[in-house]
Amino acid sequence: MSLAHDPFGPADHIEVEVLIVGSGAGGAPTAALLAEAGFEVLVVEEGSWVDQGAVKPFSLEQMARQYRSGGVTVALGRPAVAYTEGRCAGGGTEVNSGLYKRPPHEVLDAWRTDYRIADLDLGEIDAIADEVERDLSVSYVPGETTAASRALARGAEALGWRTGEIPRWMAYPERGDALSGRRQSMTVTYLPRAVAAGAALATDVRVERLEIVDGTARAAIVTRADGRRGRISFRHVFVCGGAIQTPALLQRSGLHRRIGDRLAVHPTVKLAAKFREQVNVDDDVPVHQVTEFFPHASFGGSASQAGLVALALNDNWRAFNREIIDWRRMSVYYAAITSEGRGRVRAVPGLRDPVVTYHLTRNDRALLGASLGRLALAMLAAGAEEVFPSFRGAPIVRRPADVARLESGFRADRASVMTVHLCSTVPLGEDPTRCGADSHGRIHGTTNVRVNDASLLPTAPGVNPQATVMAIAIRNVRRFIEETRVG
Amino acid sequence: MPSGPAHRLVAPYADALLARDLPALDPARRADTVEFVATRVSTLPTPMFLGVTVIAWVFDLLLRLGSRRSFISLSTRIPIPFVSEYPRLIRSLAVAYVWERWPDTRPDGGRAPVVP
Repeated sequence: MSLAHDPFGPADHIEVEVLIVGSGAGGAPTAALLAEAGFEVLVVEEGSWVDQGAVKPFSLEQMARQYRSGGVTVALGRPAVAYTEGRCAGGGTEVNSGLYKRPPHEVLDAWRTDYRIADLDLGEIDAIADEVERDLSVSYVPGETTAASRALARGAEALGWRTGEIPRWMAYPERGDALSGRRQSMTVTYLPRAVAAGAALATDVRVERLEIVDGTARAAIVTRADGRRGRISFRHVFVCGGAIQTPALLQRSGLHRRIGDRLAVHPTVKLAAKFREQVNVDDDVPVHQVTEFFPHASFGGSASQAGLVALALNDNWRAFNREIIDWRRMSVYYAAITSEGRGRVRAVPGLRDPVVTYHLTRNDRALLGASLGRLALAMLAAGAEEVFPSFRGAPIVRRPADVARLESGFRADRASVMTVHLCSTVPLGEDPTRCGADSHGRIHGTTNVRVNDASLLPTAPGVNPQATVMAIAIRNVRRFIEETRVG
Repeated sequence: MPSGPAHRLVAPYADALLARDLPALDPARRADTVEFVATRVSTLPTPMFLGVTVIAWVFDLLLRLGSRRSFISLSTRIPIPFVSEYPRLIRSLAVAYVWERWPDTRPDGGRAPVVP
């Protein structure tokens, strides 16, 4: 049941102490902690409230209702990189795979040094991760994982590669199975906590811009559900709209310095593997990942309902289309890389959405091809009869010798490259040449504009970033509470 | 049914591409799929929507001027960056919709035989 309400009523101007823009992995914990500390909090979310279970996971209906632009969003470049953003109460946590990986210490260490992040204490981050894992019921699948997940693990083990089940933020009933979990997303965890502590949540409210005078933001100009404009005055603002919308909003508000310049993603290529037996699960994703090649690359499984299998075959539709009748024996897998490339987010006056670009380096392209080849090898080792890589001109891989043809014929420009992990558009730290925000998320040159989402991560962390986003966000908001209370 | 400018520009090409790729897809399903594709195109992010609209306009013009069959065949093999993404986008949306909506559709678009 929706926790949202219209905070305006008949008025078109309201005042709050703290405005939080966005209700996902950054915004929801920020709201909960601030409300529990006694702040008067309003969370505004551009998307709608959608109850869990109201739409089938990974379906086109979910994309229409819970993703930005129906899930069809692209970073321009050669190749273009398709990406997705959650646009609903709870943000990306409502629609993603739910896989949880703690922030790696070596990554945090590198960030602290390279970006000069003050007070980034690994012990504190670990303690926050413990807390988040309890709050989100991070757990392993009870009993057997799905056939598609086991296939990936089997293939990696046959090749002697490191692999493992990744835990998820899922609550499983007693004697439950792999498909009985309930996602512990923000709409069932931190948002109810925030509202219980007195925060208000307003959905279908888009923040157009912040009014900033001499480095201090005073108000947000918003468009409400009925299309009317509104104005929200505040003392503090936390922008938590994700790595694309956060820099776009800051730029629309006149903040440009080190904002939106360093978009980082985990570019991903995919294939469809066909087995003798039925492996397809149409509303869930595999939980195993291959970590043998970390930090350069990792392999995992994707959502694979029939429409998505067709999509995976689409790059060679004329050659591969006959396989679609066997979709129940097929599952889609991905190879994700840690990219050297970077992209940009640019708000353009007069346009509602920003222009997003991403540039893959020569090494990225080579790594994508090599990773796709290794993934195909793992699929064969798992017992796949045939493997269908997603790039134009790809061969069907039936035996290990075909992998060499796959790799030599791979060109990133011909592939369906995509990503779901977007970060680094407002990196935090004290390095003035690279960081848009200070060590705790306050935008340099402002007094009260803070970012608290994936935009702050200085690089793509090489693992699913949600746990890192939440740990950093909680660290930052605790510091804010301390400083504000003392002040 | 959408009837905005984007729909009018996108629908003829989407319909022709589907007629070639999925010749046995019955007219009602094809119309349903074209409507889905056009609706999704109309909700693209603004910069992408503007780019797609320009390409769609050119494709629509060429579709009217030349041989429909040979243009559709040629259009899926155009090696020009960005332009080649348009047929790919239309086909991606279409196949994702067809097989999500009717998972037992045959590769040519025909309905799977009903098992008694």
